Amino acid sequence: MPPANSSAESRRLLTPATIPAALEAQAAGARLLAGGTWLMRSALRDEPLTGAFASLHAIPALSRLDLTPEAAEIGAAVTHARLAEALAGIPELAPLAVAAGASANPGVRRAATLGGNLCATEFPAADLACALLALEADVDLERLSGPGRVYMAQFLARREALLPGALVAGVRIPRRAGRLGAHVRLPLRKAGDYPVAIVSLTAEVADGRLSRPVIAVGSVEPVARRWAELEAALDGVSLDPAAGASAAAGLLSSFSPREGIEAPGWYRAEVLPALVRRALAALEASA
Amino acid sequence: MSAPDPAAHVLDLPRRDARDKLTGATRYTVDRMGAGALHAAILRATGPAGRIVTLDLAPALSMPGVRGVAAAADAPGLHGIGVADHPLFARGHVRQPGEPLAAVAADTLDQARAALKAIVVEIDPDPACLTLDEAVAPGARLVHPDWRDYATLVEGGNRRDNIAWEARVDRGEVDAAFADPTMRIVESAYEVGRQSHVPFEPRAAVARWEDGRVHLECSTQAPWTVRRVTAEVMGIAPSQVRVTVPPVGGGFGLKFDCSIEPIAAILARKTGRAVALELSRAEEAASCLCRENARIRISSAIDPQGHIAARDAEVLMDCGAYGGEQVFLTTMTAHTLGGNYRLGAVRLVTKAVYTNTPPNGAFRACNGVYCTFALERHTDEICAQLGLDPLEFRRANVVGDGDIGATGQVFRGNVLGEMLERMEDASVPVLPALSGTLPDGRLYGRARTVGTWFVFVGPSSATVHLHDDGSATLVTAGVEIGSGSMAQGLPQIVAAQLGIAPDKVVVRQADTDASGLDMGVGGGRTTVSLGAASLEACAAVRAQLLEAAAEMLQTPASGLILRDGRAEIAASPGAGVPIPELVGRIQASLGPVAGHGAFTAPGEPAMPGCTAGHFIEAIDIPVHAVHEAEIALDPDTGHVEVLAYRVVQDVGLALNPRAVRGQIQGGVAQGLGYALHEEITHDAAGAIRQTGFETYRIPGALDVPRVEAILHEGGPSIGPLGIKGAGEVPILNVPAAIACAVANAGGVRVGALPLTPPRVLALLRGRGGRD
Amino acid sequence: MIRLRVNGEPLALDLDPMTPLVDLLRRDLGLTGAKAVCREGFCGACTVHVDGEPRLACLTPAGLVDGREVVTIEGLGRNAPPSVAPVDDAALPTALQRAMLEEDAVQCGMCFPGMVMALAPVLEAEPSMDREAIRRAMTGNLCRCTGYERILDAAVLALRPQQEAAE
Repeated sequence: MPPANSSAESRRLLTPATIPAALEAQAAGARLLAGGTWLMRSALRDEPLTGAFASLHAIPALSRLDLTPEAAEIGAAVTHARLAEALAGIPELAPLAVAAGASANPGVRRAATLGGNLCATEFPAADLACALLALEADVDLERLSGPGRVYMAQFLARREALLPGALVAGVRIPRRAGRLGAHVRLPLRKAGDYPVAIVSLTAEVADGRLSRPVIAVGSVEPVARRWAELEAALDGVSLDPAAGASAAAGLLSSFSPREGIEAPGWYRAEVLPALVRRALAALEASA
Repeated sequence: MSAPDPAAHVLDLPRRDARDKLTGATRYTVDRMGAGALHAAILRATGPAGRIVTLDLAPALSMPGVRGVAAAADAPGLHGIGVADHPLFARGHVRQPGEPLAAVAADTLDQARAALKAIVVEIDPDPACLTLDEAVAPGARLVHPDWRDYATLVEGGNRRDNIAWEARVDRGEVDAAFADPTMRIVESAYEVGRQSHVPFEPRAAVARWEDGRVHLECSTQAPWTVRRVTAEVMGIAPSQVRVTVPPVGGGFGLKFDCSIEPIAAILARKTGRAVALELSRAEEAASCLCRENARIRISSAIDPQGHIAARDAEVLMDCGAYGGEQVFLTTMTAHTLGGNYRLGAVRLVTKAVYTNTPPNGAFRACNGVYCTFALERHTDEICAQLGLDPLEFRRANVVGDGDIGATGQVFRGNVLGEMLERMEDASVPVLPALSGTLPDGRLYGRARTVGTWFVFVGPSSATVHLHDDGSATLVTAGVEIGSGSMAQGLPQIVAAQLGIAPDKVVVRQADTDASGLDMGVGGGRTTVSLGAASLEACAAVRAQLLEAAAEMLQTPASGLILRDGRAEIAASPGAGVPIPELVGRIQASLGPVAGHGAFTAPGEPAMPGCTAGHFIEAIDIPVHAVHEAEIALDPDTGHVEVLAYRVVQDVGLALNPRAVRGQIQGGVAQGLGYALHEEITHDAAGAIRQTGFETYRIPGALDVPRVEAILHEGGPSIGPLGIKGAGEVPILNVPAAIACAVANAGGVRVGALPLTPPRVLALLRGRGGRD
Repeated sequence: MIRLRVNGEPLALDLDPMTPLVDLLRRDLGLTGAKAVCREGFCGACTVHVDGEPRLACLTPAGLVDGREVVTIEGLGRNAPPSVAPVDDAALPTALQRAMLEEDAVQCGMCFPGMVMALAPVLEAEPSMDREAIRRAMTGNLCRCTGYERILDAAVLALRPQQEAAE
């Protein structure tokens, strides 16, 4: 029987009922625990799992999922499974619904949370982070000094600096009627593994033309980011998947793709045009 | 008396172990590790090579909960197949990353692991040979500088430097054929990676020292091998080792060798306590005795009539730091790379090469799988270069009745030819040509490949006891690893032979104290070798029954049959005597009723003088397969989807057709993993990088199509009732069929496995075969 | 102290709250039906039900099942603890398990407890599922022996009475 319960006596699990209580626990040294799908694999990464933990599951505010005409406000403890179910069929939120419904596998989706996906800084293949970037979400952070809100792009770029002493409470996604979106991921098997590359995309589509496209790329580099050059290239052009793919193929040099055990860096970049084409085709289908 | 007709044994008998497996009640070895046992953990080397300067175990002994430690001094013997080169714990030198240095037994696993950290280790690193190229380069550093000192267990293999073993076939005038200007010469080269078995139950053992002997309860396919090797490395008598085997949660060849069991045994002896040892998943993966990586070079001289006048091939097999199964497997290239087709002349040189990497082992059809890949890709390259139709070429050249194999053995029956015809009849392809474009834009490819493997026959014994309640007990050292041989095949044989219901046949769990010698469950041998022994045991029981019945019924034994739990007069159904009554009568006069049977390989002869370093001369039971794959290739991402998969398998007689079909579906799935998804690579220190399910991708439900299977019966077999092993061979042709289909779809020369999306995209975009 | 019900039985356990649930079950309660195969959420062999929902017991800290109802393969479909239930060797508790037996789906068996625990509630919730939908639902349950088709055959067979009744 090989459980790795090292220093069991030193581990404690707290269940704060409020955000301030969770922040207090964190200030006292506790690590925040959401769905557990990242932390519980610490042993596999040779990382110690010791000390105190504060579970976020008992804080009602973190489990909110409010859809108003203006915005979707989603608590950090909402699971992928619940997100996928709640957002199904809302065209402007499609990237998040697809990301939440296709990541990992059903068992993981029932446990893994939105907050966990945003806070796992060592996890480059986070589907939700990429989708939220394309949806131009804001991230709500709570600190003992008070709440704050940062743009998703800013959050991802500066996570290491922002997260100490902070708790990700959730995200706010602006809902813009008429905006459509798509999320395309490329696992190496049909399903069940992490994608080697992700393209998440939103845009307005009018008279067959794209306007103000927002394109996020995940898993290619260590952190998901927007593809500004392609956004500029596609703004105002007609929605043409093949042409979009060609444009993407000419703009790959801005990526510094990561080498991984599962796929070489060149591959992650070289499949992006195909993913862009699929994303645009999905957009076309939903238009 | 006449023995029951082979057809009387055929039945889709359900598995007797399925109910408990479906309710979680089955207790595998890993489910038996609680209850007062100490827990063991292994300290492993981190680097690939070096001299052990310090290994101080004393600090571990004073750690909390520690009851015992073990290291090289506790395991004096070396073990191996062909060459005894393998210590249980590194001794003086480290030769591979992950090599066991010491082991600790403690009250809890956490304590054992904590104590490992207290052991003081200092290793002076040596330069390492991590690849085949490095190992065979002139002047390469020797993995085993003292290789000459190792005991050679089999004679005839050429050994030198980093070549652990070399086997050769030389038949006919190969050089003359290649020099003949009328010949067309086709040359190919291939490279394959390792494949990890990933049995869901890792290797595990619980050891107890009882009455001066060790009792090992372990997850193994080969209890008699564990018995022998444990004794060898501990320096005790084999009779001091008892091995029993609970249900095994998957083996696929990994558990055909002894590996961790002696560590548990030594710690049990030193502590006087039960010791449980279970490999963590990462440890299991990093120390997996994989299907080896290999390089194959193959050339053929094709005569103007389109026949293979000569074949010349060299295979380099990476055995890792210790020879293991690869030493034996150097023999098998003769029957795979040199198989399938008639060859005018043949030269095959196969080398098992030492590298400073984790040792490899046996995996379902072993090197047959990649040799079939290489041979069938080469065959398609011959056809492409000479403008021949690949299906016609195969029809014209496969071995048929009276043809000789690479080592000169004579094949009987036109088995492969008939199987190709059956595949032709069964095939309803998506597109008529072998390549094309699908409506969705993906590239289409189809290929049909042939394969030849064998049944690894060898010693087995069986005892059958028949009781006065009408039930029988079958005692063997056979293990149920999931294939159904013990749960379905053997009870079917015994039941049919004795005329009783299969549920009246109790199959005893493997116990080396109760059974005779057995080579183990693997190589497709279980139902064949154990079946033959069981059949002979039943014959002895039948003779006793029928003699007694003849007397009771006043009818000659030749007119009696055993059926429905009775001995009956064949000509007058209903006239007879119940078996319990017969057994009771015999018990009263002669004692309890039992029979014993024994079997071993008859040893099919080869042409004298054409082999060197071979462990077997020829194959006693050839098993053939014809596979057809249809695939769709995404030119943008390199993803391969299997659209359809068809198998015609040479089964001899399908004892349990439903179970055979289940083996084919599962074996093809595993082959698809090897062909498309499963890749093992090393880091700069030679350690396996894929140590979990995230990075080592076995196929999921969405990745495996339904396999259409045709069971080809009637091919000659010396197996009991004409059966052949059915569980090993389904994997044989899969990478071959997939690789040939991918080559057809993409119009590319496929020279390496696995065909992961990055490798396929690299091929399509001219980036070369390897990443 | 962690208080929970396992297969209907109330328990109070004093143990490390970050212990994976699968170890609590296997090591502390001797319920070895759930298998700790990959310990990273990829194989599904450790699937159990927590408050009726399939969960990966390898990734679930024991502390998070405090106050919850856990059902393992040993307790699936059994209203009473097994020790109280009448002995009936023939009965398998769910249609899925019965169909797996009938289809000769099992080989080594290590993945089956998790396969059953993951699939049975899905089939119950969506009895109209077709073969491909079931296949997608099996994404998180790997099998190394069978090649999955017999498992799919069994799931389809298990749903057949309800699907025929609905027609």
